[in-house]
Amino acid sequence: MSQFIQQVILGLLLGGVYVAVALGFSLVWGILNIVNLAHGALVIVGAYITWLLFTRWHIDPFITLPVDALALFVIGYALQRGVINRLIRAPLLFTFLLTFGINLVIVSLLLLIFTGDFRSVTPSYSGSGLELGSVTIPYIRVAGLTVALVLAGILWAILNRTRTGAAILAVGADRDAAQLVGVDLRHMYALTFAIGAAFAGVAGGIITTFQSIAPTAGDPYTLQAFAVVILGGLGRVSATVVGGLAFGLIEVLGQSAPGLSSGYANAIAFVVLVVVLVVRPRGLLGRLA
Amino acid sequence: MRRATVAIATVGLAYMILAPLTSIDAAQQAGLPLLTDKVWFRIATTVAMFVVLASAWNIVGGLTGYASFGNIAFFGLGAYTVGVLVGIRNWPFGLALLIAPLVAALFALMVGVPLLRLRGHYFAVATLGVGVATGEVVNNLGPLGASTGLYLPIVRSDLLFFYLMLVAAALAVLTTWVILRTRFGYGLLAIRENEEAAAVIGVNTNFYKVAAFCIAAALSGIAGGIFAQWNSFINQELVFAVSDNVQMILMAVIGGAGTVLGPVAGAVVLELIIQTLAGGGSGSVYSQIGLGVLLAVCVIFIPRGVIDFFGGRSRLSLRYLRETLRETSA
Repeated sequence: MSQFIQQVILGLLLGGVYVAVALGFSLVWGILNIVNLAHGALVIVGAYITWLLFTRWHIDPFITLPVDALALFVIGYALQRGVINRLIRAPLLFTFLLTFGINLVIVSLLLLIFTGDFRSVTPSYSGSGLELGSVTIPYIRVAGLTVALVLAGILWAILNRTRTGAAILAVGADRDAAQLVGVDLRHMYALTFAIGAAFAGVAGGIITTFQSIAPTAGDPYTLQAFAVVILGGLGRVSATVVGGLAFGLIEVLGQSAPGLSSGYANAIAFVVLVVVLVVRPRGLLGRLA
Repeated sequence: MRRATVAIATVGLAYMILAPLTSIDAAQQAGLPLLTDKVWFRIATTVAMFVVLASAWNIVGGLTGYASFGNIAFFGLGAYTVGVLVGIRNWPFGLALLIAPLVAALFALMVGVPLLRLRGHYFAVATLGVGVATGEVVNNLGPLGASTGLYLPIVRSDLLFFYLMLVAAALAVLTTWVILRTRFGYGLLAIRENEEAAAVIGVNTNFYKVAAFCIAAALSGIAGGIFAQWNSFINQELVFAVSDNVQMILMAVIGGAGTVLGPVAGAVVLELIIQTLAGGGSGSVYSQIGLGVLLAVCVIFIPRGVIDFFGGRSRLSLRYLRETLRETSA
């Protein structure tokens, strides 16, 4: 029984990571209708920034998170405004291919700069956790979950309590009407993508605390972000939070099921995805697209 | 432009088909280019393979409008069918090659029925999922070689596999050509343009979509089967690679999605570019960067494909590029 409780707790904590990764992805998909296949790469860029700051100047990874956010914000804005904006009105397939190309370029550049070696960040409190009987709750993961929930709160506040957020939602609802009431589309697109990228950067910072990173380590996260967004649903921050936590649970519990092992991580993610798409396409909490 | 292209293409095709029949040694001594060189043989066979894959994708993505990111699963299943039958059970290659497309088509039938109910992004993502998951499952199954892969008895004959792939490529192109001349093809085009309207006028959309999916799967399966024996070794990384799927899509798209010869043009052009960039090693970092940039540029500037220029409709000019850009920009 305590084994099961341990699994559930680990699942929720893992879910926190998925929430952080999926928030930016969900924003870009929901508002811009872009499925950003380069999202994982952006996460890894954030991870590398944190790693650099930790290794060179011994800055605690959690303190580097705002730096990650800022750096990825700038990169994301430039990327959208310069490149992706050229395909906003093109059929979906093309943005898919474009973001895949961007992913290739970013990962290759990272390979050139950092080589394929695995890098890790090990702050002094890495291994410790809270012990409640036979159940361990690692501190780092709790911190990660907390940051993720804070991020979700920030995103919700931006979208629902600021004028800029209202403009973003307007663009997502009806781009032509938004333009008619004076919203600068190109800037708003770039801003939305930049915010999404910033969140990806922070997620990258979080993941360095519990896994080692390499340039290709971002790809699984892109695929998992898909699954989270589809599981939870598009259109609301709470949907992504629920989706992320649920997905974390499914992954941890699924991997300990008899007959399966950790090699099936992606397969489990996609079975979930396909089942949800066929049975309830709008996800657990999503609004009808 | 058109006459010149047709002439060049015919001569090129004739050379490609007849040259290998001459003795390779004699030709090499005479210094004849291309097909007397072993390296070019491999490249040509790879091009032919991608012609099959791009054409197969074109049937589902270009004609029917359902962009599938999981077609690589059919290729992989075809490869593993031959791999298991020939490598483990010692069946004759010819027989295994007939079974491969059937296995792939059956799989397509199974996944197609639920998946083809989805549209746009959701379909793309779901097929991506199928592609990745199938690869992963195969990678974990012991009897299929798991992560070490499968070995097949080596058959050393560049000539044989070149011609096999060529036949498969011809089959794929012919299939597309035939489809476009039948009611079935019109039905697929109608589904692409407006699926509801197509259903209203009596097109059996479900049946047509699944049929197109199965045909594409069968063709991809044949290519996979030939590849398995040609390479003598297969594993998840080789035959279930998502980047190959993107490559086949890119080829169909830059060539001209929805046309018969588009995928052929795209496969030839893109594969030659990739091989040039790779300079021999297709995994090099610079070739990846090159591919990524190429992808971005093509998708932004030539979305209708290069076949647009060969049909006499447009000319590659600054004005063409500017107009294309304006159509799709923010």
